[in-house]
Amino acid sequence: MNWRSIAAIVQKDATLFFRNRFFAVITVLGLVMGIVVYFIMPSTLEETLELGVYSPSLPPGFEELYEGEIGIQLLAAESEEALRENILEGEYSAGLVLPPDLVEKLSQGEAPDIKVYIASDQVGDMEAIVGVLIAELTQKLGGQSIEVDWQQEVLGRDMAGAQIPLRDRIRSLLVVVLLMAEVFGLASLMSEEAENRTAIALLATPMTVRDLFAAKGIFGTVLAFGQAAFFLAVVRGLDNQPGVILVGLLLGSTLAAAIGFLAASLGKDFLSVAMWGALIMILLSVPGIAVMTPGVVSGWIKVIPSYYLVDTVSQASNFGAGWGNVWQNLLILLGFSAALFAVGILAFRRKLR
Amino acid sequence: MANHAIEVEDLTYWYGDLLAVDHISFHVDEGEILGFLGPNGAGKTTTWKMLTGQFKPKGGKATVLGRDIARDSLKVKGEIGVCFEYTNLYEQMTAGENLTLFARLFGISGFKPGPLLERVGLSGLEKKKVGEFSKGMKQRLMMARSLVNKPRILFLDEPTSGLDPVSAESIRSIVLEEKQRGATVFLTTHDMWEADKLCHRVAFINQGKIVALDTPHDLKQDYGKRALKAEVGEGESLEYVEIPMDTDKTPDEVHNLFSRKKVVTVHSEEATLEDIFIKITGRGLEE
Repeated sequence: MNWRSIAAIVQKDATLFFRNRFFAVITVLGLVMGIVVYFIMPSTLEETLELGVYSPSLPPGFEELYEGEIGIQLLAAESEEALRENILEGEYSAGLVLPPDLVEKLSQGEAPDIKVYIASDQVGDMEAIVGVLIAELTQKLGGQSIEVDWQQEVLGRDMAGAQIPLRDRIRSLLVVVLLMAEVFGLASLMSEEAENRTAIALLATPMTVRDLFAAKGIFGTVLAFGQAAFFLAVVRGLDNQPGVILVGLLLGSTLAAAIGFLAASLGKDFLSVAMWGALIMILLSVPGIAVMTPGVVSGWIKVIPSYYLVDTVSQASNFGAGWGNVWQNLLILLGFSAALFAVGILAFRRKLR
Repeated sequence: MANHAIEVEDLTYWYGDLLAVDHISFHVDEGEILGFLGPNGAGKTTTWKMLTGQFKPKGGKATVLGRDIARDSLKVKGEIGVCFEYTNLYEQMTAGENLTLFARLFGISGFKPGPLLERVGLSGLEKKKVGEFSKGMKQRLMMARSLVNKPRILFLDEPTSGLDPVSAESIRSIVLEEKQRGATVFLTTHDMWEADKLCHRVAFINQGKIVALDTPHDLKQDYGKRALKAEVGEGESLEYVEIPMDTDKTPDEVHNLFSRKKVVTVHSEEATLEDIFIKITGRGLEE
């Protein structure tokens, strides 16, 4: 490796990148928009807890039981199925299915069969709340405290017992979008190098093709990593497990650079490179939805490489997951990055010829 | 015997089934300007690319400054300057930035682009973006770029193609200055007039083979015919007379011409390199 040549090309690419108004605007605007979107998202969870209730014969005045009490609102569902769907759609966090003989059993001092559904991202605190609620319910309706052994089912993907504000859930999606936005600029720079035949002039000096690709890879990775790391620092995404997250970001940035090579080799000019870049960006942003709305997506999402970045950032920043929890993600991300880099370089090398 | 800056033996290259360079052999002496002439598709640019390390020869051997270009291309690249036919400059960068970038790639520290820009007639334009340059200015900057490392051999591919006469003459002056400095020049062109004016020797390449290689003077001697052309007569009844110059009858025919007819104009004519190329290959250079 000729590091002097690599440094010269990295500096040249940085000059050209920021001298191009389009790329400069995309970079700065993308960063600002990401931060703005994060901060306009709700930072706290809903304080009033809405719970669904279904019973074939709900006791009269049941819904008014908690009226006026701060923090809990009971909403009647038409059927058990409707209750489940409402939870999955996020209308309320949990639901109770009460038996038709609820009041009768309570008045006889017997424990009724109560079924509880909890949204996957609300498990944890919600279990405790539902427990207290059922205890209060038996007290209010039966006049005495009866221990109820209720059945519980979690709907959607289990989120390990944590509730996350929307802005923190969207954080990992924004990171991927920012990283992939850099694919545009990087791919265009590389494509122009081939189209304008400046790469041939560079290779007429004592610089090897390997040096040239290393310079492009380093520039792309540093650019994407710098932007994503800055974003996460501003939105406090590095407060938990910064080491894990930064390694994840580095691998994700390498992935973005590798995709830049691929997009550059696919496109013939700026427009077609931008089209390919946009298509790839949309595809790679999909795993962000998995974190935004857990339970909606299925296992196929794991074939998209960015899933492992999104999951790592989300697990580490939102749930404090450490190396032991995400090492597999990082390994897979490394594998994807290396494989895509190899494919991207081969494809771009063919274009150079 | 002069040292050979370039030594080519049995050099061969093909694209699929097309044999682009067909077992050619030649040498270029140090300090010599060799013109490599031929029509489009004759194999001259492919040869040029092999000698500059862009293509690896598929057969034969090429030695540049004593190094095998296939094995030691990086070291060779450090000592040569390459000027392309097409413009491949960074147009969003200034002239100075373009030259400084290449100086860094050649490992030159403390490079100042000013003197080199002045040499190619672009003084004062160091901070101007290349995108704002005319074609002639860009070509002169390309020439300056090829001189950044003070090359021992200068490889020029159609350096004056499509340029205005002033810019073309400026490029030719630089080539001659480089020759004065002691550099060897390998010039690919299909401009016969330029080759005749600049080159010590010229090689004609056709269908991948070198069909003639000599000084322009000797090629004209060997293949051309010298003649005296005269315009004789009066008013509208002018006629043209051509007298071969190298025959036994030449003195008598010249004497008769001046004694019997009214000569309006007379001049000697010698074959051009293009005439010779057509004579050897049966095809023109622009084909």
